[in-house]
Amino acid sequence: MNAEVWERLLITGILVGGGAVGYLLLNRLLLKRAVNHLARFGAYRPGLPTIVYFTTPTCAPCLTMQRPIIERLQTRLGRWLQVIEVDASIHPEVARAWGVISVPTTFVFDAVGRPRSVNHGVASAETLLKQLDLEDFSI
Amino acid sequence: MDELKNIDHSAIVVSQATMIVLNLIAFVANQPWLVVFVAAMMLFGTLVGSPAFGFVYRLVLQPLGVVRPHLLKDNPEPHRFAQGLGWFFMSTAALCLFLGLPILGWILVWMVIFLAALNAFGGFCLGCFIYYWLARLGAPGFVKTPPSGVFPGMRPRRGSDER
Repeated sequence: MNAEVWERLLITGILVGGGAVGYLLLNRLLLKRAVNHLARFGAYRPGLPTIVYFTTPTCAPCLTMQRPIIERLQTRLGRWLQVIEVDASIHPEVARAWGVISVPTTFVFDAVGRPRSVNHGVASAETLLKQLDLEDFSI
Repeated sequence: MDELKNIDHSAIVVSQATMIVLNLIAFVANQPWLVVFVAAMMLFGTLVGSPAFGFVYRLVLQPLGVVRPHLLKDNPEPHRFAQGLGWFFMSTAALCLFLGLPILGWILVWMVIFLAALNAFGGFCLGCFIYYWLARLGAPGFVKTPPSGVFPGMRPRRGSDER
């Protein structure tokens, strides 16, 4: 291969790599911001793994998929899990502050309030359990 | 409320991914004719109302079971508009490449690569977003509104898919 092709491959690598790093940084920023907002929920009890679940009444995937999944998790894990549900249509300012642009969106925190993951769209029970580090609770 | 249709988003994602690969090959190998080919396919897709490289999915990947259908309730018009916008960028890029403006031409190609990647991997379609904003501003011919609970331009989520 000649020098020009190598040069173009290098540019491609830099641009593609830069894009991937940018996406990862954006997600990290979102999670970093989320940790500052978690304690502001009156319902938040420190010491428990937490799912902050953003939804709206008209969101079909929330009603048909995400809510049943979260209810199954709550039934299975009982008091070992807390779920804070936010109606983004009633509290758009909260959704904005958390950087939520579509519903359902779920933020997962461990027992000490450290943000673990953010899911844009429906997250399966297995995914949420894995993110909560509670894979032993198979459902 | 708009009548939403079942749209197979797997076809859109495969088409975007094919476009990204072809554009990357065109850039690395410095092949402006490949840019012309992608632009021509995008024009064809826009005119017939299907993803430019949807045939890769329909004829190869889906029959082989590599990619499964992902039907979502969505508006087809914004996707068609987005592809048309992509064609505009690609044809301008091709024109620049053949008129001796390679830097501008390749920048336009990279913009298309970036936006296609944002759509395929991030689920955000900038062309669709522009369509919905034009509809909100009352531009003639732009009448659709985003599916309920979906941010303009974002891919609708599962729940409406039929498997």
